Amino acid sequence: MNTLVMEQPAQNDAALVQETLEGNQLSFQLLVERYQDRIFGLARHYTRNAVELEDLVQDTFIKAYHRLETFQHQSSFSTWLYRIAVNTCLDFLKRRGRNPVQTVEDPELIETSSPGRGAGSLGSPDAALEREEIVQVTHEALEELPEIFRTVLVLREFEEMAYQDIADLLGISIGTVESRLFRARARFKEAVLRLHPEFGQDGR
Amino acid sequence: MEGNPLRLTCDSASALVPGFLDGELSEEQSSSVRAHLLDCPACREVAKGEQVLKRWFIDEPIPDAPAGFAARVSRRAFAGDPGVLVPVAGHSSESSVLPFVLRLTAAAAALLLMLAATMHVRSRSAGGDELRAEDLDAVWAEIYDLEGESPARYWDDDPAADSGKGAARDR
Repeated sequence: MNTLVMEQPAQNDAALVQETLEGNQLSFQLLVERYQDRIFGLARHYTRNAVELEDLVQDTFIKAYHRLETFQHQSSFSTWLYRIAVNTCLDFLKRRGRNPVQTVEDPELIETSSPGRGAGSLGSPDAALEREEIVQVTHEALEELPEIFRTVLVLREFEEMAYQDIADLLGISIGTVESRLFRARARFKEAVLRLHPEFGQDGR
Repeated sequence: MEGNPLRLTCDSASALVPGFLDGELSEEQSSSVRAHLLDCPACREVAKGEQVLKRWFIDEPIPDAPAGFAARVSRRAFAGDPGVLVPVAGHSSESSVLPFVLRLTAAAAALLLMLAATMHVRSRSAGGDELRAEDLDAVWAEIYDLEGESPARYWDDDPAADSGKGAARDR
């Protein structure tokens, strides 16, 4: 099956979407193959469990299939799919009952120390840690963040998305992206220092 | 423009540093931030701190999708699988137990209420209330004796009806 898929001439997303809507299962399979790595890459920031990860990605694509008729081509297919993936991941965390989604209007979220200056001095991880250890510490700290902050940080720092793309994906303004990133970075520093005080610059 | 960037205050420059490092500023803004950082050691430290932060965000290799993943997913989708999300490992039992516990608690509370009502009716018919009222009056009397005060001070009007009021008050 995969060989057959690989032999297909490259088609753009819009054509594959149209063919899927016309009932072509293979076209949808091509879309999944095209984006599965990116969605796996995104979803792994929300769970370390391989089974849950696969379920998240699978559900993202199945939801996308069922909503394909609502795709208006106003944004790119990848942005549209990412939006479904992010929402699927957030739903998953909400169902898990941990670290529920909070709104930025929450006073506790607004009241945070000034990033950069007041959030403590987080040292560089390079010298002391192996790559796997850095990944582990970073994941632990991300898990401490409210989801709205974790998501912007993941989209910016790991997915390397532009502010405008993040804004489009989450349906928020660029200003909101900036302010969430601002707070998210401060929260991230605080979380690393709280979980691993040894990484403070004074402690190095 | 490049040769004459807008001069920034430290507050303005610090606010622009994240966007500067993310490559999100206009050329003009970037030039201004760059010029400020060259002149200002304090803001340079802020920028260094933000730069260091980025070193924590190193990516792991993306796990390979399982063999046949795309084929399986598209087959499921076309078979009408609704894609109801992901039973959460280790948590699904909690979510199913909670409603059961709540229902059980409600049922127990209702049962207790019925039991209490039944006992109340029985005790009334057996004159239990009057006995308890008398006991209570005796306790009140002891308290007043200890304090050297008359019950009449607390219960106005008819002292003779005091015990009745006390009983009524406690019903």
